[in-house]
Amino acid sequence: MAMRATPFVVETTMKRWLTTLCAVLALAAMSRPAHAVGPVLDWDPAYFWMPGATFNNMPAGGIMQAVGTVDQFGSPLDFLNATMPATEYTFYINSLNSLGTTAFGPPATTIYTTFFTGGTIDVYADPTPDAVFAPNPSNGQVPSTFTDLGPPILSGVFTSLVVTTNNYTVFKVGNIEGNINWTGGTLLSYFGNGTGGYCPGLLTGGATWNTAPGVGIPGYLFRHDGKIDLQCPVPTAKSSWGRVKQLYR
Amino acid sequence: MRSLVTTLLLAACAALSLAPAARAETLLFDYVGFDYESPDPNPATFGEPGSGYVGLGTVPFLFAPLVANTALNEYTFVIQGLSPTGVLSVGSFDIINYDSGTVTIYEDAKLGGTTGTFTPNPSGGPVPPTFTDGTAILVGTLTNFQLTINTSNGMGYFEAVFNATGGSQLGNFPLNQRTGWTFSGATGEALNIPEGYAHQIDGQTFLDGPVSARRMTWGKLKNGYR
Repeated sequence: MAMRATPFVVETTMKRWLTTLCAVLALAAMSRPAHAVGPVLDWDPAYFWMPGATFNNMPAGGIMQAVGTVDQFGSPLDFLNATMPATEYTFYINSLNSLGTTAFGPPATTIYTTFFTGGTIDVYADPTPDAVFAPNPSNGQVPSTFTDLGPPILSGVFTSLVVTTNNYTVFKVGNIEGNINWTGGTLLSYFGNGTGGYCPGLLTGGATWNTAPGVGIPGYLFRHDGKIDLQCPVPTAKSSWGRVKQLYR
Repeated sequence: MRSLVTTLLLAACAALSLAPAARAETLLFDYVGFDYESPDPNPATFGEPGSGYVGLGTVPFLFAPLVANTALNEYTFVIQGLSPTGVLSVGSFDIINYDSGTVTIYEDAKLGGTTGTFTPNPSGGPVPPTFTDGTAILVGTLTNFQLTINTSNGMGYFEAVFNATGGSQLGNFPLNQRTGWTFSGATGEALNIPEGYAHQIDGQTFLDGPVSARRMTWGKLKNGYR
């Protein structure tokens, strides 16, 4: 004799299906890191300066600035051509306020970290290319030739920035890394995160205080080879129940 | 007469003698990509004994004496062959020294070639082949490779001595201009790091200027020996 499904069994089965469905939908909708590989902005070079500072001592209260030329754009700004001579893409970083340098480690391998607060970044598209890393900024050409045609295509504020240097690298190399919240600019809408906000940026790259001709420029503290990545989560990703189950095996 | 000839000869020697001039360094190439370890006996750490450092990615900008056409070709790089020789911990940082390895730049036609693709989880296998296809235009040795990395967030930097030793364009490099250095930033905080890779890296390689001759007076030369 065949068993008939009771209302209780039907309800339980239904609940299980609903739970499963919800779990699949929830997992499918989970954010995960973006895998767009290229940076949104890449530059070479940028130069930082800070009056009165050295690679191992950036006194508290000092202001660090930087200028740079963008040499490559990636998604979602890959429609811009940074190598076209008709337009020069530049940026200016200002108002990074040093919290002072901290040294740690033994004398032979000392590492210096300097955290900064505040700071802004503006990226410009200039149809009259003229940017020049004139020595000993600020001066008549720096930062003005990097900011001479507004409005900026992107504007942002730093939420953190740290400079890491040391006394043991032969070629005098370290790192400058910071996080950016984008706040304005004519192309800001391209950084939308899909939920009404904007994907933050990660400024990162190597820095050198090597003063050899061809590398350093008098009056600048660091040459920076870096880029900005968009730290944008992917909102959804399609998945099958089988794939979801695989995650837990 | 004899003393006049001797003087002239000495003066000529002085004028022709090689004297080191201030040597301007030049940017040779700029690279961006990711690194990982292969082999990777302990995935929880970086620079452990028995591991190998591998970096790979694209080379968007190349400069003389390299000859490149980035409109027609894709240029990729592979750093490999580096085994750690020791790790020194300084606070949350690890300073990892490596034995010598190589960096190779490949030129691959965009039309008909294969785009460099960061295959997930490359450790344990060959370097993703889309980065090694094409023509090896430059091979260089890397010595004194040293990576400093903050173990809490993967932020750091590396440097090495570079020496051009091979590749189809080695002949472009004058014999007295084949050495230089490379450096890169590294970070583990970028969200675009593909699965199985450790850090995003962005670096540059500089070429030392050639040793050149410069004019000198007989008096200055003699002063050098007093």
